[in-house]
Amino acid sequence: MVVTGRAVLLALAGTVAVALSGLIGAEVTAIVLGVLAALLVVDVTLAASPGAMRLSREGDTSLRLGDAATVHVIVANPTRRNLRGSVRDAWPPSSHAAPRARPLRVAAGERQRVRTTLTPTRRGDARAAGVTVRSIGPLGLAGRQRTLSAPWTVRVLPPFHSRRHLPGKLSRLRELEGQHTAMVRGQGSEFDSLRDYVPGDDVRSIDWRATARGDGVMVRTWRPERDRRILIVLDTGRTSAGRVGDTPRLDHAMDAALLLAALAGRAGDRVDFMAYDRRTRAQVRSSGRGSQVNRIVEAMAPLEAELVESDPAGLVGTILSTQGRVRKLVVLLTDLNAAALEEGLLPRLPSLTSRHLLLVAAVRDPEVDRMAAERGGTDALYRAAAAERTLSERRRVTTELRRMGVEVVDADPEHIAPALADAYINLKAQGRL
Amino acid sequence: MTAIASTSPALEPTAPPGSRARRVWRSVRVPAAVITALVVISVLLSLGAERFPTGHLEPGSVSPDGTRALVNVLEQDRDVHVTRSSTAAENAVERAGGDTVLVVLLDHRMLPEELDALAALDVDTVLVQPSTRSLEAFAPGVEMTGRESPERFLDMERPVSPECDLSAARASGPADMSGELYTASPEVEAVGCYPGGDGDALVQVLEEDTTITILGTGTPLTNTALDVAGNAALALNLMAAEDVVWLRPDPPQQEGGAGIWELLPGGLRWSLLPLVVTLGLLALWRGRRMGALVPESLPVVVRASETTEGRAGLYRSRKARDRAAAALRTGFLERTTPKLGLGADPAPEAVVTAVAERTGDDPRHLRSLLHPERPDPYAGDDDTLVRLSEELDELTRRLR
Repeated sequence: MVVTGRAVLLALAGTVAVALSGLIGAEVTAIVLGVLAALLVVDVTLAASPGAMRLSREGDTSLRLGDAATVHVIVANPTRRNLRGSVRDAWPPSSHAAPRARPLRVAAGERQRVRTTLTPTRRGDARAAGVTVRSIGPLGLAGRQRTLSAPWTVRVLPPFHSRRHLPGKLSRLRELEGQHTAMVRGQGSEFDSLRDYVPGDDVRSIDWRATARGDGVMVRTWRPERDRRILIVLDTGRTSAGRVGDTPRLDHAMDAALLLAALAGRAGDRVDFMAYDRRTRAQVRSSGRGSQVNRIVEAMAPLEAELVESDPAGLVGTILSTQGRVRKLVVLLTDLNAAALEEGLLPRLPSLTSRHLLLVAAVRDPEVDRMAAERGGTDALYRAAAAERTLSERRRVTTELRRMGVEVVDADPEHIAPALADAYINLKAQGRL
Repeated sequence: MTAIASTSPALEPTAPPGSRARRVWRSVRVPAAVITALVVISVLLSLGAERFPTGHLEPGSVSPDGTRALVNVLEQDRDVHVTRSSTAAENAVERAGGDTVLVVLLDHRMLPEELDALAALDVDTVLVQPSTRSLEAFAPGVEMTGRESPERFLDMERPVSPECDLSAARASGPADMSGELYTASPEVEAVGCYPGGDGDALVQVLEEDTTITILGTGTPLTNTALDVAGNAALALNLMAAEDVVWLRPDPPQQEGGAGIWELLPGGLRWSLLPLVVTLGLLALWRGRRMGALVPESLPVVVRASETTEGRAGLYRSRKARDRAAAALRTGFLERTTPKLGLGADPAPEAVVTAVAERTGDDPRHLRSLLHPERPDPYAGDDDTLVRLSEELDELTRRLR
């Protein structure tokens, strides 16, 4: 049951009539209230039933964070009365659905498309909460309303800001493969093929044995290893919830992971993905060669930092047990938190590093660097000292990890993605994959 | 005065500290003591005070025009019932029995029906300065025929003598009887005493077995006049009975007046009902939501530097200068030693020597700066901590 402003005006007019009625006030009151009630009942009864509307949806199912998606609700009116009223397509607040509500007219037997624009401010799945249809009767005084279910989910994907670094890193990769436009010898370490020498080739790459066997001068060509396996592990434990700048560590890590996945996919490596804190939160297994970026993005979208301490033992166990025995590059995106790493991960590293190559990447907080440079007054010095202590612990953990043969990438949010890509390219150039 | 007093200590630089407060105390203490004493005394006095009702001929009043004294005297050997309304008086008379005197004061406050009902009680009655209507009810045939002059009324020195056969009056002798004067018509069996110009100030009407006594004034009954001449005797003689019912009616209450509600036109009154309905519809119109609120669980958002800032707060609150100095030094050494070509974890002496070679500073000073012996000379107070940070920064700049 809903009433409109017109009903209120009518009631107000009735009030004025009673006020002016004088001695016959009781009779006029009865008439006014009776007429008002009768009109409202008639209007509610004659309004098209909102519960009888048939809803269906169409529109976008996913978008990158920062973009806008459009979702339509199609309201079909199978009744024999015209629907006149308004409709609201409700979404969670962070989806910023617009418009909030809009007027709606659906003639009997017809259908109407209601368009809603979403500009989400949070990553993850946005689920439609329900469509509220309000139907006003022919007199425009009162009506009925019903919230109908019309499920729809829009997946808000990580924004992948670091995409802009991809061309530069790909050109470095091509350089590595010897496919660069400049004729330089590929720096890969894997033997590719023998071909005839052409002027300009590096004389160091002449294969003398093959030259002796044949007529012409032969050169060996090299290429970087291909079909290596990379496992990107995202730590979704409590340390990933910390906000660096305006974004949680987790989102910075996702950005870096996506750039690495895109790059490695182009380089012909197989990329697996896993998110873990105390259990596996998301997993993507590579199926043959080719880019896994889209699947990884989909898997990342609903991930949120969990407020639990990560379980490094479980993580190492999962990697060793489920990821096969093939040597691979394990990229662990976590925080260089001395307490968490020293107690959990470091003692279990040997079993991991004996079989795989481990690369730990961490987002460094520029705020701590800024604090360490604070001067002027004792309070500033205490802040600087606390920051120095944090940095010192971080350095200690880094040193410890490197000593155990782990590659460490520690960079601030701006540079973590390119730094991780560079580390990967360097490893590839060194043939260490 | 105040201005001078307040500025004078400022002009005296030699005034000892606290003299201003002492001077203010000296000037304030006498008035404060007086006010305190007054308050204490008035509070003590008010503790024992009893509040008496006031009013003309009020039986509870101790003021000159009250009748508390007479009532107290009467209570010594008879039952006195003080009543405030005619019905209470009727009840009291009926309860009291045969030998009863009803004293009616201020009867103009009563309705004619009430007066008639009292007159029908058939009991000895003393009317004090009755109204005309009251006279008609109690003693038909007696009329007010004159009034003594106010001068005579206030003249307490010369009471009037009874000059009649009424034993109660004659035994009392002269009394302050004046005021209204009455004359009884010949058909009525009546005695008049204390004659004035146009009548008598006391008229006693004898009915079948009761007497109606009409007093022209209540003065003989008042506290102030009771001990003068024969006033007390007259009053006691007139009220000679086992029970005395004293009726001093309260002023009639206003009742049944038309309120603002009854003065409103009927239409306006009735319009409240549709108005309530209108407000209800207005609330429904504005308050009805389009569907329920949509809940959403929000992620925890905390700054990553929170723990570092917490540690800074701990350092500050505990003034942990030694920890802070150690942290600053460690940071400096960890940044500097790789640049000096020293390996990881170099010996303190090697660092000091290397830095001294680069900068040409005194090795002993550098040793106390970088690897001090206990106690740390830079953790003594805030100034030395600041100096430590400045020297470390300076060293960093020169080693660059």
